[in-house]
Amino acid sequence: MTQNEKAAAAKKRNHAIMIAILILLFIFFISPFILVLINVFKDKADIVTDPLALIGAHGFTLKNFPEAMQKMDFFNVFKNSLIITVCATILTILISAMTSFVIVRNGKWKMCTAVFALMVASMVIPFQVLMVPLVSVYGGIFGLLNHRATLIFMHVGFSVSMATFMFHGAIHTNIPLELEEAALIDGCTRWQTFWKIVFPLLKPTIATVAIIDAMAFWNDYLLPSLVLTDKAIYTIPIATQQFYGTYSTDIGLVMAALVLAMMPILILYLFLQKYIVAGVTSGAVKG
Amino acid sequence: MPPPTGGISEQLPVSYLQGDNMKRNTLSYKVRQYLMFGGVGTFLFAAVVIVPFIYGIYLTFTSWDGVSPEKPFVGLANYAAAFGDHEYWLAMGRTVIYSVFSVVLINILAFVLAYLVTSGVKGQNFFRAGFFVPNLIGGIVLGYVWKFVFNRAFVAIGTAITGHPTNSLLATPSGAMFCLIFASVWQYAGYMMLIYVAGFMSVSDSLKEAAMIDGCTPSQAMRNVTIPLMRSSFVQCIFLSITRCFVIYDVNLSLTKGEPFGQSVMAAMHVYNTAFTYKNYGMGQAEALILFVVCAVVGVTQVWVGKKGEVEA
Amino acid sequence: MKSSTKKLLTILLALAMVFSMAACGGGSSSEEESTEGGGAGDGTSITLFNSKNEIQENLEDLAKVYEEQTGVHVEVYYSQDTVSAHLATKYASKAPYTLNMVDAKDIYSLGKQYGADMTGSKWVDDTDYAISVDDKVLGFPTCIEARGILYNTAAIKKALGEDFDPASVKTLDDFKAMCDKLVAAGMEAPTAVLKPDWSLAAHYLQQVYEEREDPEAFVQDLYAGKVDLMKDEKFNALMDTFDALKEYNMFKSAPLSAEDELVHQAMSEGQDAFQFGGCWEWNDLQTYDYNGPVGIMPVPQNLKDDYTGKLVGGGSKYFYVDGSEYTSEADQEAAKAFLDWLATSDEGKEFVSGTCGMVSPFKSNTVECTNDIGKVVKEYVDAGNLVPNYDYDPDDHYSKLGIEMQKYLADQCTREELAKAIQDYWANVTPVEH
Repeated sequence: MTQNEKAAAAKKRNHAIMIAILILLFIFFISPFILVLINVFKDKADIVTDPLALIGAHGFTLKNFPEAMQKMDFFNVFKNSLIITVCATILTILISAMTSFVIVRNGKWKMCTAVFALMVASMVIPFQVLMVPLVSVYGGIFGLLNHRATLIFMHVGFSVSMATFMFHGAIHTNIPLELEEAALIDGCTRWQTFWKIVFPLLKPTIATVAIIDAMAFWNDYLLPSLVLTDKAIYTIPIATQQFYGTYSTDIGLVMAALVLAMMPILILYLFLQKYIVAGVTSGAVKG
Repeated sequence: MPPPTGGISEQLPVSYLQGDNMKRNTLSYKVRQYLMFGGVGTFLFAAVVIVPFIYGIYLTFTSWDGVSPEKPFVGLANYAAAFGDHEYWLAMGRTVIYSVFSVVLINILAFVLAYLVTSGVKGQNFFRAGFFVPNLIGGIVLGYVWKFVFNRAFVAIGTAITGHPTNSLLATPSGAMFCLIFASVWQYAGYMMLIYVAGFMSVSDSLKEAAMIDGCTPSQAMRNVTIPLMRSSFVQCIFLSITRCFVIYDVNLSLTKGEPFGQSVMAAMHVYNTAFTYKNYGMGQAEALILFVVCAVVGVTQVWVGKKGEVEA
Repeated sequence: MKSSTKKLLTILLALAMVFSMAACGGGSSSEEESTEGGGAGDGTSITLFNSKNEIQENLEDLAKVYEEQTGVHVEVYYSQDTVSAHLATKYASKAPYTLNMVDAKDIYSLGKQYGADMTGSKWVDDTDYAISVDDKVLGFPTCIEARGILYNTAAIKKALGEDFDPASVKTLDDFKAMCDKLVAAGMEAPTAVLKPDWSLAAHYLQQVYEEREDPEAFVQDLYAGKVDLMKDEKFNALMDTFDALKEYNMFKSAPLSAEDELVHQAMSEGQDAFQFGGCWEWNDLQTYDYNGPVGIMPVPQNLKDDYTGKLVGGGSKYFYVDGSEYTSEADQEAAKAFLDWLATSDEGKEFVSGTCGMVSPFKSNTVECTNDIGKVVKEYVDAGNLVPNYDYDPDDHYSKLGIEMQKYLADQCTREELAKAIQDYWANVTPVEH
């Protein structure tokens, strides 16, 4: 065997080991999800009796889906969730990227340092702490609750700190100054430089923030439940709450609602994959 | 949006960065520049987080019960009570233990996952999606799902083996702690993996290749080139996992509910109970504030240390 | 690459604008809708907060019927958040519900602060379970709930081949004999124990305070640290019975791993014969392959006193009408009218006893209860065999002492230690004023 062949064989072996590890981890990670998928086609008694059985004693059933959809007013709440998630995610990305840009590039200004420190510190505030003061201010004083727009802006306000934090790291380490300088010399203003040069280079982070925030907004229960009181503008998590209870929980319906709710995010994730994979900076800078 | 200043092209690029130009050093320029980019973000952040937070601090000086129209001012009594609340500090201690284990395990696993799914293995996108799935299930439901596994599936297996109902892990204090750590690692590893993946992606291949050509082995290249360049990913992930773990509530509620014997009550749950279940809002808020300070000190120190050594591109 | 990014950006911005406009527009238009919806009749629209999740859908249906009849729109809400936390946020945003369903003890705090006086309402004279504070009627009882030992007649009949007469099991000795008989007949474990803190502390332990001449005086003694529970007959009698429940528990080897669903399923399908519980468990029992009927009997004790042969219970899930400045007089009146209707109309009676299978607290309601356990409870109520609830526990009572009861259930402490923990708790807690 030549040196090359040996190396190739070793590489192949490593590859196989990696795949094996990945598959094991993969099974571990999605096992609860599979459990959900199995049980969504059973009725409650069967779920309780034997959660691991593939098909319950009462047989395979699809009834959880239409029932959950009808109880949730699915299409309406889906629309609300979609509007709120899309708007809030896009706004969060644009606003945070801009904010972090000015903070990173002016790291010496006290103002920037102070705002950034505040944002970082604020990320550790438990939401329950802000809950009552928040509604006191925006419901009690300004009377702004019960609008989707209010919820969108609150979502942005709460997530802007973490998104800024993530963009901060990305701009700091991965956006070469030379590019911005070159743009300035070409006659771009700072505003143009940001949108034409910096923002496109942030793609992997944008995709990451998009998926993380979209997921957080999509799944959030507590904040929407405080802001939205009119049933016509409920989101999916609020609509599913009626399946939970102290004395009785209809697990079948919970599972169905869960499956219905998680699909859009999974699709979004698969779609955003290619931006995360893109690995943008590699060619652009040193090439 | 008009450009903030006139012909930038006339100026030397270096001034753009260092702001040594007179015009760029004036306060009004700085403010305008800041508002243009960061104005909206800062405004929303202040309006939604800072204002309620300050109002919340005011409430810690009252003996408000959460609903009554009266908010009697009691000075520092709530803080005195919080510092004397034995159970609160026990919960805090548990939270620290839980956080240390979770943060370490989450980040190790997330890094390994990210490495594996960026190494060019076939079907890596598929794997990434799989590892990410736990996040699609919200905290509450996720807790129920794991409870289901620990209490039902494992017990069913145990019962089959021993022939009589066996205790679930959740029925012992240390078992419950283990389950919480386990569920958290499972939940957040895929999430942090995303950030590490973005980190791996942003380290240019040419740098790695250059290192290899210079005679580095792959592991040396990883240690000396990739990891230092991913420092900001580490800082982010560790910070995020610390903050998530310190304020764990949803999973705590649905997975253990503080059981057995109240020995898996984490700090946030204790705060919530004090404020709402025991209707002692002022004291709950004070305890939450202490939790915030502890967590902020840990988190910000970590970021500060991490950022200090960050490599610039 | 640049142009494609630009395009993407433009699309994103456009999307964001369209969506936020849709969001703003949507928000306000839906508000109009909701007021219009109420405007069909006399324009009144009130809100109702329901904390009994299992009747949520039925309540929504009832609200529709009510709107058809009176034109008053009743919007029914439920929250999975803690009731007090949820109501706190409603009051903080100055938008409380018009009608609030809470536990009896909350009427003495929340109701006292915000409740509108319902003195003189039609239903008040028709019930013994209204809650009055300072001579004002503040709490409207939705139903009567009682606690005791649930028994599955079908399971017992199947095991022993004879009909079960609950009257034959009066003392603990009877109960043990019965259990032994069942075991001998092949039933592996005749009992099961629910492990949640509310069941163990707020329902079981609570009987120690309730089954005596003057519960209030006893609780005051507990506050004062003057009670020695180990010398208390009632405490020992009840704990002896609890020991028996533990002894025959089908989850004996792992009592804290017994999920509520498993315990309910066991009773529903007749895997065991006896459990401590109450009539609210009916809804859970029905979701399995119910094989009953399941009935309820007093907790058997080896102590003969005035409470032998009686269930413990009373009014439950009380409504108060928000009387704060945030709710208009007209809405308050509409809310009171709804409660009147719920208590006195045929539809209301049918709803409580028929549709929801609850035990009505109103004497004029003669609709037969559709709940097997409720039917039995109703007999006890009619015969006056109900020991009243004690509603003035401190808010953390059920969780703090629930922990101690769980330890006892899991054999992690002795009865002496349990008694001491209970005494210590009461001696150190801030007394509830009422």
